[in-house]
Amino acid sequence: MENVIECRNLTHYYGRRLIYENLSFDVPRGRILGLLGKNGTGKTTTINILSGFLRPRSGECRILGEKIGEMNPLTRRRIGLLIEGHVQYQFMTIEQIERFYASFYPGWKREAYYELMGRLQVAPRQRINRMSCGQRSQVALGLILAQDPEVLVLDDFSLGLDPGYRRLFVDYLREYAKAENKTVFLTSHIIQDMERLVDDCIVMDYGKILVQMPVRELLDRFRRYTAPVGEGFVLPKTAGIRNPSVIRSTLECFSMEPEAEVRARLAKAGVTELAAERVGLEDAFIGLTGKY
Amino acid sequence: MIKAIFYKEWIKTGGYGLLALLLSTGFAGYAMLRMARVCSLKGADHLWIVMLQRDAIFVDLLQFVPLFIGLGLAVVQFAPEMYRKSFKLTLHLPLRADRAVAAMLAYGVATLAAVFLPALAAMGGYLQSILAPELWQHILWSTLPWYLAGIAAYLLTAWIALEPTWGRRLIDGAMALLLLRLYFLAPAPEAYNGFLPLLTAVTLCYGLLAMLSLTRFRDGRQD
Repeated sequence: MENVIECRNLTHYYGRRLIYENLSFDVPRGRILGLLGKNGTGKTTTINILSGFLRPRSGECRILGEKIGEMNPLTRRRIGLLIEGHVQYQFMTIEQIERFYASFYPGWKREAYYELMGRLQVAPRQRINRMSCGQRSQVALGLILAQDPEVLVLDDFSLGLDPGYRRLFVDYLREYAKAENKTVFLTSHIIQDMERLVDDCIVMDYGKILVQMPVRELLDRFRRYTAPVGEGFVLPKTAGIRNPSVIRSTLECFSMEPEAEVRARLAKAGVTELAAERVGLEDAFIGLTGKY
Repeated sequence: MIKAIFYKEWIKTGGYGLLALLLSTGFAGYAMLRMARVCSLKGADHLWIVMLQRDAIFVDLLQFVPLFIGLGLAVVQFAPEMYRKSFKLTLHLPLRADRAVAAMLAYGVATLAAVFLPALAAMGGYLQSILAPELWQHILWSTLPWYLAGIAAYLLTAWIALEPTWGRRLIDGAMALLLLRLYFLAPAPEAYNGFLPLLTAVTLCYGLLAMLSLTRFRDGRQD
């Protein structure tokens, strides 16, 4: 499958602090890929590199086959960008912002924008700076739908949105992306939203990628294990077992290995009466990255 | 696409532009009123004598007006771009980033010209009616560095506003103050006449400094 986004060996530092080293990933056409990570692991850094607002220390990214730093400006017509917090030109009204953007995109779909705006309880001449964050998110989404780009890059789209607007945004975006075969690269700090929206995920920890795979596969393979253990029990380092912790004489750990394999390995460490359960994406994320 | 950039700039600055026009022509009008009052009390010949004997130009109160108007325009135009880094939206437009910024600056300079020229025209119009050509031209030539300072203040403030880090903004601000001082060093009216073409060229070159900030913004410089 053709890769719409390709990043190779990205390394970046802020001052002396390493954000990540040799990060590589691809996003194939028509897939929705979510980048998950704790605060400070480099999600927004990656979005900034992809959007051309940050030059990495080394490595390169291509979107639609063009190097980001040398991209033909007209290629940006094919890339939709949502900035963290649904930032838009605050000084414009919803009419003005539509008129402004329409001049840049020959295939502008005015009706798609106004269809979404029709659902908002705002006057056409209301300024964006007088709108709620939820309403602004709809303006941003409407502009992206009108632009009708091939690739969408969305930075923390759920920031500041209440559950209703988050759901609206996620459902609208998924339906649009799937119907129109769009490629989407996004981040969000609300993992439940990602579970409803993304096909593939990358889970990042400080400086590296922990997992990159389809969400369905991750959820099929990932398990949480619990077992009663004695007071003061410490699980020795065991291959394939992630983030073990003991709370009130109950061991909790996570693994992607086959269940029989995990049971055998933990039995060697003296852990029996093991209970295994499937988890959602949020628990899988915690299981991979740890609580701290 | 450039027309759309102008449209965006107009939305931000239209109201301010009108206010600046009122201020600029208002101050010029007030200076003319004061001269008209002297004329009516003591006659135009008194003005002529004072101008020749004391090297007075009677419009000193206009000295810093263009400077503050230029500074205000840059703030009104560029502060909304830097609010929550909305400038990223401009940089993501399918247009070369330097062309987008150049269009924004060209709009600003054109706006300032539209604000300053009516004041100069009004002063020229009135002064011609009471003063000899050498005298009214002497006054207008003496004010030109102040109007250039307005354009310089605009371009230098744009440079500082687009700069992504606060540390560098402080350094740029200090340098801008020193550069602006250049426009107010004249020991006497018309002292800058021979220097004006060069000063105009240097002033317009300050626009390139904003491109430096643009490069730093796109490199992702942070505090």
